[in-house]
Amino acid sequence: MAFLGQEEQIREFQERFKFLYFTVFIGLGLLIARLVYLQVLTGDKMRLYSEENRFKRVKIASPRGMLFDRKHRLLIDNRPAFDLEIIPQYLSESKQSKEVISLLSRIIQMPEAKIYEILAKAKNQPSFMPVKIKTDLSRDEVAVVESWRLDMPGVQVQEEIKRTNIYGDVASHLLGYIGEVNSTELPTLNKAGQRYALGDVIGKFGLEKELESTLRGVDGEKIVEVDALGRIKIGKEKSRVIDTHQEKLPVPGKNLILTIDQDLQLAAVEAFKDKIGSLVAVDPRNGEILAMISRPSFDPTEFSRGISPALWQKLLANENHPLRDKTLQDHYSPGSTFKVVTAIAGLEEGVIDERTTFKCTGSMRVGNRIYHCHSKRGHGDVNVVSALAQSCDVFFYRTAQALKSVDTIAMWAKHLGLAKKTGVNLAREVPGLMPTEEWKLRRFGQPWSAGETLLVGIGQSFVLTTGLQLANLYASIANGGTLYRPYLVKEIESYEGKVLKEFKPEVLDQTRLQPKTYQLIKQGLWGVVNNPTGTSYHQRLPGMDFVGKSGTVQVVRLSADKVYQKCDTMKFRDRHNAVFAGFAPAKDPVIAVAAIVEHGCGGSIAAAPIVRAVIKKYLETYYPDIYGEKILAARFKDQLKVPKIPKHTDDSDVVQVEEEDAAIKMRREQKPVAPLAPNLIGIEPGTVPKPAGADSESDSREEEE
Amino acid sequence: MVHSALESPTPIETETSRMGMYEEELKKFNWSLIALEVILFALGIWNLISATAVEDKSLGLYKTQLLWFGIGIILTAVILLVHYSIFSRLGYFLYFVNLLLLAAVLVVGRSSLGAKRWVGIGPFSIQPSEIMKLSMVVCLAKYFETDRTVGGFGFRDLLLPALLVLVPTGLIIVQPDLGTAMILVLTSATMIFFNRVKTRTMLILGMCFVVAAPIVYRFGLKPYQRQRLISFIDPMADPKGSGYNSIQSMIAIGSGQLVGKGYRKGTQSQLNFLPEHHTDFIFSVWGEERGFIGCIILIGLYLAFLLNGLGVAYQSHDKFGLLLALGIVTIFFWHVFINLGMVCGLLPIVGVPLPFMSYGGSSLLTSVICVAILTNIANKKFMF
Repeated sequence: MAFLGQEEQIREFQERFKFLYFTVFIGLGLLIARLVYLQVLTGDKMRLYSEENRFKRVKIASPRGMLFDRKHRLLIDNRPAFDLEIIPQYLSESKQSKEVISLLSRIIQMPEAKIYEILAKAKNQPSFMPVKIKTDLSRDEVAVVESWRLDMPGVQVQEEIKRTNIYGDVASHLLGYIGEVNSTELPTLNKAGQRYALGDVIGKFGLEKELESTLRGVDGEKIVEVDALGRIKIGKEKSRVIDTHQEKLPVPGKNLILTIDQDLQLAAVEAFKDKIGSLVAVDPRNGEILAMISRPSFDPTEFSRGISPALWQKLLANENHPLRDKTLQDHYSPGSTFKVVTAIAGLEEGVIDERTTFKCTGSMRVGNRIYHCHSKRGHGDVNVVSALAQSCDVFFYRTAQALKSVDTIAMWAKHLGLAKKTGVNLAREVPGLMPTEEWKLRRFGQPWSAGETLLVGIGQSFVLTTGLQLANLYASIANGGTLYRPYLVKEIESYEGKVLKEFKPEVLDQTRLQPKTYQLIKQGLWGVVNNPTGTSYHQRLPGMDFVGKSGTVQVVRLSADKVYQKCDTMKFRDRHNAVFAGFAPAKDPVIAVAAIVEHGCGGSIAAAPIVRAVIKKYLETYYPDIYGEKILAARFKDQLKVPKIPKHTDDSDVVQVEEEDAAIKMRREQKPVAPLAPNLIGIEPGTVPKPAGADSESDSREEEE
Repeated sequence: MVHSALESPTPIETETSRMGMYEEELKKFNWSLIALEVILFALGIWNLISATAVEDKSLGLYKTQLLWFGIGIILTAVILLVHYSIFSRLGYFLYFVNLLLLAAVLVVGRSSLGAKRWVGIGPFSIQPSEIMKLSMVVCLAKYFETDRTVGGFGFRDLLLPALLVLVPTGLIIVQPDLGTAMILVLTSATMIFFNRVKTRTMLILGMCFVVAAPIVYRFGLKPYQRQRLISFIDPMADPKGSGYNSIQSMIAIGSGQLVGKGYRKGTQSQLNFLPEHHTDFIFSVWGEERGFIGCIILIGLYLAFLLNGLGVAYQSHDKFGLLLALGIVTIFFWHVFINLGMVCGLLPIVGVPLPFMSYGGSSLLTSVICVAILTNIANKKFMF
C-alpha cells in the first residue's frame, strides 16, 4: 500500500539498482577468481599440504627372533599379551563414568580406589592418550571386558607382544631377558651404527643380549592417518582414506637353534628340586652344550615388559642369588673332582704308572705338618685306579709331591680347559684359577711352599673352577684330550626356517692323552661309580657305564675337632659344597656332565644323583636301542634297583686342610658379579637400590658366618 | 436414473473451475526464492552430515538443523498468509523487543566459547543478534518509508538512523560478536546510502573513517581481534596460532582442486584440521569435497538467489516493500560475501555464518523468515 507520490521516488530508486547488481557481480566475481587461484592454479600444492597434514610415519615393530632347542622345540616365543586401558577423554564424556569404574573393578578384581589413583596419576597427559590400568589380563578377563564393551565407553583392551619363556624359570640365565633401551644406553648403542630408539626392546642378559643383532629384526614403517591432535584413525575411518601400499613391512629377526636339549634341562631341574647350584652337560665329541642350568632361577617373562621394583628387590635380596649364573659367574673349589688332573699329570709326566702304589695310613707328614686323608683309617696300598675310585687323598699328595712343581699340574690343568675362560657365548664368565709359583709370588709376594703343591694335588688351595669348566674338563678327558670350546648356538635360521649359518665345533687344545693314561683314568672313574668300594657306587647305572668323580669341599675353615662332624648337623651355610663330574658311556663317551650343589654335604649323595638323572635321560632318549628302559631291564634284571643313598657322608672325601690363610682370604675376595639391572617400572636406571649387604662379605660363599 | 446421470457432472464442473482459479493464482505465485532456498538448504544438510560425521558430539546436529528448518517452514506459511505491511506497522515494536532481548543476553545470556550470545527461551536457545539483522532492516525500511528528504541526507538527517543502528551494534559488540555487528553496520549503511547521502557528507564520513580506523585498531579492538587482522595480512606470521584457521581453510578449499575429494573424504575436515567446520567454515568442507565445480554451482545458486531478491525489490510497487526487500537481500549478500571471502583468505576471520549452509538455528530461522518476507513482497506486488 504505497503512499501517493512514492512512484517518483521508486523510479529514482530503481535507477540506482544498477549499482547493486554491479556490486553483486563484482563481489561474487572476486570470490570466483579467488577460487580459481586456490583450487585450479595452486590446487596441486594445496593437495600436497593436506596430505602432509594427515599422514604420519609410524614404526611397525619387527618380531624378535625365536629360540629353539636342538630338537626345534620352542623355548622363547613372542606371545600376545592383553592390557586394559582407559581413555580418560571418553570416560569423562560418558555420564556413567562411576558405574563404568565400578563395573570394571569387579571384572578385573582391582579396587575402585586403585583405578582412580592410576587415572589421577595420568592427569597431566592429554586425555586422549590411553592410561594402562592393568597388564596381562587373563583370557577370561579379556572375554568379559569385551562382552561389556558397549557399557564401558573409554575402556579398551590393547594387544601387545610379550617375550615369553615357555618353560618359565628353566634356563633363564642362558636364555636371558630383554628390556627397553634406556636413555643412558642409547648414545653408545647408536654409535656402533645401530638404530635404536627410546623404548625399543633390546637383549639385556644371556643369549638375548649376546645375539642381539641376530635376534633383532628390521622394523617396518607404515603411514597412518592422523587427525589434528595426532590421534591415529582406526577402524572404518582408516580403510576409507588410507593408502596401504606405502607400507614397509618389518623383517622379523632370525631364529636361534640351540645345542640345548630341553628334555635334559627339565630332567636336571627335576633332579635339582630346591637345591642350590648348577649343572652343565657337554657333548665331548664337539663341545655342544646339552644342558646348562643354574638354580635357583627366575622367570625372564616377568622382565620382558619391565619388571616391578618389588620383584626385582626380592630377587636381589634372595641370599641364594637367583640372578647369578652359577655355571660360569661363580668360582668353586673343585675338590676331589680335580684329582683326575693330578693323576693325568703324574701319568703323562711319567712320575707314576699303573704299577705305582702308595700306602695310605690316613695321613702323611711333610716337614712338620700332617696332611690327612678323608679316611681316618687309611686306604692301605692304593694304585692310581683304586685311589681315584676311593678318592684317596694320600695317593694324590704323593703324586703331587713326585711332580715336584705345581706348575706341571697347572700346565696339564690348562691343557684340559681350566684356569681360562672357555669363551662360551655368554657374558660375565669368570676365568677360574690355577696357581703357579710365579703367580703366588706376584699375587702375594711370597714364594710357593711345597705343602701347597700337595693341596693343589687334591683340588684344594687356590684352585678355582666354574661349573662349565668342570664339565668341559671331563668332556676333554672323555674324548681323550681334545678340548673344544663349549657352545650354545647350533644354527641360525631365517624366520621362514631356512638355515643361514651353522656353527662348527672349535678345538682349543689338541694335547692328546696317551692311550694308557686314557685307559687308567677311565678305569679309575669307572671304579668310583661301579666298584663296590667306589665313593659313588650307589649311583651306578647298570648297562650305561656311567663313570665320574665326586668331590666334597668344605666352605668354612673347620677346627680339627669339627672336621669329622656330620655335615647335615651343621648350619646350612657351613655345610660342604657337593661336586660331581662324569661322563657316559665309558667306552665311547657321548655326554659329560658336571653338577655343583652348594651346601649339599656330599658329592656323591647330592650332586651325583643329578648328573646320573641327566645322563640316564640322555642315553635313553638318544640311544633307545641300546639303553632303552626295557632293553636294560632285560639285561640287568637284578641290578636295576633304585640306588640306596647312604644317609651319612661317611665315604665322602672331605679332608682336614690346613690351608694358608691367603687361600681362604682370596676365595673370599671372589666377589660376586653384580647382576645387570633390567628396566624397572618407574625407576630410572642407575638409581636401582643395592640389595642389603650386596657389598658386604656375607655375599661371599666361602666366608665363615 | 437418466435424470441423475445428467445432473451429476455439474458440481464437478464447478469444482474444476474453482480449482482452475487457484491454479491460476498458484501459477502466478513466485516460488523461485523458496525453491532456491530449499535447494541451498538441502545441499547444506548434505554437506553438514559430512562435516559432523567424525566427532561424536556433533553427530546428530543435522537433525536439529532440520527441526529449525521445519519451524521456519511453518513460520513461512504464516507469513505468506498476511500482508507484509504488517511489518511496517510492527516495525518499531519488533525493533524494541529485539533490543530488549539483546540487553537480556548480557544479563542472563548463555556463554559458549568465551562469548555471551544466547538467551534461553523454553527448551530453545536463540541468538537475538541474528534476528536483530532482520529487525534492523524492518525498522530502517519503516523509518525511510515516510522520509521526504530531497537531495540526499546530511549529518542531521543521519542522526536518528545512526542511533537506531549503533545502539544494537554496541550491544552486540560487547557480547562480543564482531561478525554480526559488522553485518548489521554494513547492511544498514547499504540501506542508508541507497537512500542517498549528500556527497559532502559522504566525503567527511570517509575521512572520519580513515582517521578513526587506526585509533579503533589500537584501542577499540581486543588483542585476539587485532591478531586476526595481522594474520589476514600475513597468515604465515603465526601458522600454528592465529593464522592456523585461515591456512587450514585455504588448504582445504585448494586441495579440493577441480572436482573435489569426494563426499565424506575431505581429510581436512574429517580429521579436524579444519576448525569450526560445521559453522563458519562450512564452505571449506564443501570446497574440499566438491571441488571448484561444486563451488561454482553453489555460488551460482547464491547469485541466482541474490538476483531474484533484487528483482523482487526492483519490482516492488511501494517504498516500504522495496526497502525491506532490498535490506533483506543486502543481509544475504554481505553474509555470502564475507563468509566466502573469509574462508578463501580474502578477508580477515570474523564469525559470519553462510546462510542455509552453516549450522545454527537462529541464523537459519532468520534466513528462512527473510525468504518468506521476500516471497510475500514478490507476490503482493500486483495488489496495488
